[in-house]
Amino acid sequence: MRVAFLLNDIQLSGGVGVVLEHARQLSALEGWEVTLVLVREDEGPSWHGYEQLPHLHVRSRERALQERYDVAVATWWETAFTLFELNAERYAYFVQSLEDRFYRHDEAERLGAGLTLDLPVAFLTEAGWIAETLRSLRPDAPCYLVRNGVDKEVFAPAEQVQPATGGPLRILIEGSPSSWFKHVHDAIDAAAAMSEPRHVTVVCGDRQALGDVAADEIVGPLSHREMAELYGRTHVVLKLSSVEGMFGPPLEGFHAGATCVVTPVTGHEEYVEHGFNGLLCDWDDLRGTARQLDLLARDRDLLHYLRCNALETARAWPDWRQSGQFMAAALRAIRLEPQPIAAAASARMLADLRGGVEIYHEHLRERLAYAHKADRFDRLVARARGNPLIRAFLRLRRYRAARVAARPFRPLTRRLRGLAP
Amino acid sequence: MTTGPATSDWQERIDRDTAPAIRGEHELRYRLIAPLVASSAVWADLGCGTGFAAAAALEGQRPPCAVLADLEPTATATAAGELGIADTTQIAGDLSEPATLARVGEALLARAGERVVSCFEVVEHLSSFVALLEWATGLARAGEATFAISVPNDAFWSIENPYHQSTWSEGAFAELRCLLPSEHTLMRQVALSGSALCGWEGESEQHRLVVRVGGEEAVATHFLAAFGPRHRQLRTGALAAQTDMLAQRRWERQRESNIALSEHRVHEVREELQAVVIEQREQLRANTAQFDEWRAYIHELERALGRPLAGSPEAMRAERRDDARP
Repeated sequence: MRVAFLLNDIQLSGGVGVVLEHARQLSALEGWEVTLVLVREDEGPSWHGYEQLPHLHVRSRERALQERYDVAVATWWETAFTLFELNAERYAYFVQSLEDRFYRHDEAERLGAGLTLDLPVAFLTEAGWIAETLRSLRPDAPCYLVRNGVDKEVFAPAEQVQPATGGPLRILIEGSPSSWFKHVHDAIDAAAAMSEPRHVTVVCGDRQALGDVAADEIVGPLSHREMAELYGRTHVVLKLSSVEGMFGPPLEGFHAGATCVVTPVTGHEEYVEHGFNGLLCDWDDLRGTARQLDLLARDRDLLHYLRCNALETARAWPDWRQSGQFMAAALRAIRLEPQPIAAAASARMLADLRGGVEIYHEHLRERLAYAHKADRFDRLVARARGNPLIRAFLRLRRYRAARVAARPFRPLTRRLRGLAP
Repeated sequence: MTTGPATSDWQERIDRDTAPAIRGEHELRYRLIAPLVASSAVWADLGCGTGFAAAAALEGQRPPCAVLADLEPTATATAAGELGIADTTQIAGDLSEPATLARVGEALLARAGERVVSCFEVVEHLSSFVALLEWATGLARAGEATFAISVPNDAFWSIENPYHQSTWSEGAFAELRCLLPSEHTLMRQVALSGSALCGWEGESEQHRLVVRVGGEEAVATHFLAAFGPRHRQLRTGALAAQTDMLAQRRWERQRESNIALSEHRVHEVREELQAVVIEQREQLRANTAQFDEWRAYIHELERALGRPLAGSPEAMRAERRDDARP
């Protein structure tokens, strides 16, 4: 069985890590040949953080075009552009999140990412909620659920949870601060709003995007082993994301006996049970989140109960070996089944494209109307500035006495400034 | 199927000494398929074990032919004896292996007519379930056989069963479900608790029970799936049996006794280990003292010869210089 996974690159990241782990599991099976196809031009293999995987085949797009595969699998919406260029018996798409949600409503990538879900492919996905969404969006296409495993060697379940009866509540916040949907700064603010003693550790690979924040410790980027070690010193993983796929970090924390305080983000339902192994907080409720953290800092019985159940939840989560078996079974099934009919997919894609064009048209119309309004205002301001009387009046601002005399007019000038584009 | 050493803690082989609740669970699964088995031309039981629960569930009804497969030949032989089906093919082998599955398939397809395959509490014991799933779904899609499989809900109690090679849960079953033919029947098996009043003299009575099962609070002990041409014929059901308290007590006391014995052995081994550790620590201490004496003597000689002291940075540098010389 020859399988190609298409990737933009193999830089250390959650999504790429999942694909590489599947590739590693599959390549260990007898009769399986797995190739990683790097679709970005000039993208050479960089094994930083994945040193255990050098035996995998890695091909550039150009080289992969000359080969033949049983199943070619896109793993990120941009890789779908190359998918059908490859010579493969079947085409599949491993969806790790609904990637259009990574972009704001007026970004062109949002439409592009959404449209790739209309391709005539078999879907593989890692979360139940994505599987349900895909099945309702694309009833014509097969969809296989393959949950991510956890590396039980790196994130080895703790023997038992050591009760934390004293000291500050140790909180871990991780995520990319430059991704708007991770809400890293909100999490830091929520922890800062606590009244009980706490120790906040922020794991972040991009210090510049993080800026100056209220944290006791800022670390990162960290390898998986370093992360596992850090989870072992953590009581609570705090994550306030608004978009997640499988939502892995709190689960990794569970393995080390850390509970979590999280938003009810997609993916949490796979393993977080409010009041049993973690706490769910409300959206945009930093004050309420801080109160939940305070509760855990005060009520050490509750903290221990949640941490113990978190660890038990982790024990029952499958490892990558089991996950790899489901991936193998799904790819075999995809290979045996006919490719989804392109006509149904095309109809769906064109309907979505029309919807996208209408939205784009509406955005453009709004912007043109706004530009027109701004232009009129600019002309008015330019004309006013050209008037000698107004010029002389503006020059008066240099004198303190004139500024004091103008104070009663401040609300009016403030309003005028507010009108400016 | 047993894939590890026998212990008293995990009862993976169903026999007369198995805890009544576990025996009841197992028997109910066979009762589920009993009508299909009785009316089929051939029945294959994958991971047949001792055949004890199947024999109890099938009661007097037997199919004309059976294929009994298990990892251990002794198990298939016991099951064949228990079930007493004259035309029985026994296959011993690992059901993770395509070759074993091919043998089962060959025996199954050699008989014309309706074919039913049960595969209860097997998947979690396999080193890989990929081949079994592909083989089973292939036969079911081709309309050759109807399959009934079950997996335990390990995740609910976070059970780390030493015999299980994969962990099953609601989520894992959802993954499995995606791989089944689109036409299939799913069921949850839930635990029952109960009690009964009977006459003082203890004469045998029969009661018809009405029991409400399911609903939001129902937590599955096992998940079942049936697929293939006759999957719709499966019907939900319940089984309640008088608890054989004597057997249960015997089983539990045996288990406690075995655990106590094991703990005692562990204690003995730990004491032995501790003695070894103490002995080796003493040896280490004596060796260290001896080495210190030697070192002091060597340093004395080195000082007399005007050479750098062994182990000092100067000596290391000199050694490196010597090594570098051609």
